[in-house]
Amino acid sequence: MIPIPSTLAQWSHYIAACLFALGLFGFLIRKNGIVVLMCIELMLNALNLFLVEVSMRSSHPEGIIFVIFIITVAAAEAAVGLGIILNLYRLKGSVHVDLFKSLKG
Amino acid sequence: MRDGLFIAFGILTILGGLGVVVARHAIFSAFSMVIAFFGLSALYVLWGSNFIAMLQILIYTGAIVVLFVFVVMLLDLKKESSLDTGSGLAVMLSGATVWFFSLLILRAMNRGSYFASEKVLVSQDMRVISHLLFTKYLWPFEILSLFLLALIIGVCVLARPDSKEGPHK
Amino acid sequence: MDWLDLTIIFVRTAVIYVAFIQVVPIMIWVERKGAALIQDRPGPNRVGPFGLLQPVADALKFLFKEDPIPKEVNKFLYAIAPFLILLPASLVVCAIPIGDYAVFFGRDVLLQVADLDVGLLFVLSIGSLGVYGILFGGWASSNKFSLLGAMRSSAQVISYEIPLALAAANAVMFYGTFNLRQMVFAQEGTLFGFLPNWGIWYQPLGFLIFFIALFAETNRLPFDLPESEAELVGGYHTEYGSMKFAVFFMAEYINLATASGLMTTLYFGGWHLPWITDARLLELLGSRNLLALLQVATFTVKLSFFMIVFVWVRWTIPRFRFDQLMRVGWKNLLPLGLLNIIVTAIVLYLVEGR
Repeated sequence: MIPIPSTLAQWSHYIAACLFALGLFGFLIRKNGIVVLMCIELMLNALNLFLVEVSMRSSHPEGIIFVIFIITVAAAEAAVGLGIILNLYRLKGSVHVDLFKSLKG
Repeated sequence: MRDGLFIAFGILTILGGLGVVVARHAIFSAFSMVIAFFGLSALYVLWGSNFIAMLQILIYTGAIVVLFVFVVMLLDLKKESSLDTGSGLAVMLSGATVWFFSLLILRAMNRGSYFASEKVLVSQDMRVISHLLFTKYLWPFEILSLFLLALIIGVCVLARPDSKEGPHK
Repeated sequence: MDWLDLTIIFVRTAVIYVAFIQVVPIMIWVERKGAALIQDRPGPNRVGPFGLLQPVADALKFLFKEDPIPKEVNKFLYAIAPFLILLPASLVVCAIPIGDYAVFFGRDVLLQVADLDVGLLFVLSIGSLGVYGILFGGWASSNKFSLLGAMRSSAQVISYEIPLALAAANAVMFYGTFNLRQMVFAQEGTLFGFLPNWGIWYQPLGFLIFFIALFAETNRLPFDLPESEAELVGGYHTEYGSMKFAVFFMAEYINLATASGLMTTLYFGGWHLPWITDARLLELLGSRNLLALLQVATFTVKLSFFMIVFVWVRWTIPRFRFDQLMRVGWKNLLPLGLLNIIVTAIVLYLVEGR
C-alpha cells in the first residue's frame, strides 16, 4: 500500500496527489456547475504545486514558467466557464449539470 | 520548524480542498477554496518560490475566486438540502477511479533520479524567470497573449445578453 | 539568532503595528473635523479640548452597544466578515518600510516588519484579499442592499486591480526591483540640482493611475459604491452594529494608512528628506538613531499629507454612478496604464539600454 512519507518532497507529492484526487472526485460527483468549475481549478493547482516543487528542487526555472502559463490559462478557463454557466442559467434557470443534455441524441 | 509548517499548511490546503467538494452551498465551496489557495501559496513560500506564491494570491484568490463568488451571488443559488451527487453506485465508481488514478499519479511523481537526495533549496530569481520568458519562451508567451485576446472577445460575446430580445431580466 | 534578536523582532513588530493602529482614532477626529471645516460647521467640540477625546467617546459607545445578530443571517460568515477585512489590512503594514535602520544594543534594527523581496507584490496581493470581508459580509447579511453592495464591490475591485497592477508594474520596470526598500534607496538625493529625486517626476502618469485606483481599492469616495449610504442605506455593513461595525471602520482607516504609505514609498521618496542624502544627514547629526528618528518623522509627515488628501477628496467630490465607475476603470485608466508601460519601456531602452 502507500508508504509513510519521509522527506519533505514526498509530503509535497502526497499533498499534491490528495488535492488532485479531491478535485477529480468533486468533478465527477458534484452536480452544481459552479462547484464543478472550482474542482477543475483544484486539479490545476495540485499540478502547480508539483511543478513548483520539482522546479525549486532541481533548480530548473522551466517549471516556474510552466506554472505562470498554467495560472494564465486557468484564469481564462474560469472566465469562459463562468460565462457559459451564466448563459446556461439564463436558458434553464438552474446550474444543475444534468439539465444540460439537449445535445444528447 | 520548516517541516512542521509544511505539514500544517499542507493539511490546511487539503482541508480547504475537502471543503470545496463537500460544502452544500456554493459560497462555502468558494470560501474553502480561498483557504486552500492560501495554504498552497504558503507551501510555495516554503519551497522558496515567493514570486509564484504572490501570483497565486493575486490571481487565484484575488481575482478568480472573487469572480466565482460574484457569479454565485448573481445567480442566487439555494443551499442543497443534502449533497446532490447522483446515485450511490456512481459515487462509489468515481471514488474507485479517483483512488486508482491518484495512486498512479503518486507513483509517477515518486519516480525519477532527482528524488534520491533532498537537495538544498535553490531560490529562483525573478530575473532568471523573466529573462527566460522573453527569450527562450517568447513564442509561447506571445501565443498566450493571442489566446487571451481571443478569450476576451469570446467572453464578451458569451456574456452579452441577446440585443434582439431587448434588455434581459 | 539568539534571544536578543528575537526580542528585537517582537518589539519592532509590536511597535510598528501599534503605531499604525493609532491611525484609527486620529483619523476619526481628522475626518470629522475635516468634514466640518469643508462644510463650514464647528464639528465635534464637546468632548475634550477641540473635541480631541471624541474618538474615545466613539470607541466607548461602540463597545457598550448591544451586538445584534439579525435572524436570517448566515451566522458563521456574518461573524468573521469584519475580521476578514481587518486581517489583510493589518498584514499589509508589515511590508511598508518606515525608515532605514536604527542601532540598539549594538545591533542593526531594520525599521520595517519584514524586508520582503516581493514587497510590492505582497502589498498588492494581500491588499486584494480585503474584498472577501465585504463579499461574505454582504452576502451573509441576507439583505438586498448588502448583497448589492457586495456585488458592486467585487466588480469594482476586479476592475481597478488591473490599473493598479499596471501602475505598479511601471514602478517595478523603472526601479528594477520588487523590493520596497530598494525602491526607497533609489529615490535619494536631487534631480537637476533643484528637485528632490522622487519617483513622481519619472512616473507622473503612473502615480495618477495608482492614486485613482487606490481610492477604488480602499472604497473611499468618490468610489465608495459598495456602501454608498444614499442609495444602499449602508451597503455591505447595513446589518452590522456595535463593535463589528467599528472593526469595518478600523480596517478602512488602516487601509488608508497603508495606501498612503505605499504612495509615499513608490513615488515620494519614502523616508528620505528632500534635497539631502542620508550620508550627509548622518554627518550633520552624528548619530544613527537620531537619523532614524528623523526618517520616521519624515515618513509620518508624508503619510499624514496623503491621509489628509484622502479626507479632503472624500468631502469634496461627489460619488460616481456605477456605469461611470466602470467606464473610468476600463476605458480610461487601463489604456493609459498600457500606454505608460510602452513609453516607460521605450525610454528605459533608449536611455539606459536595458
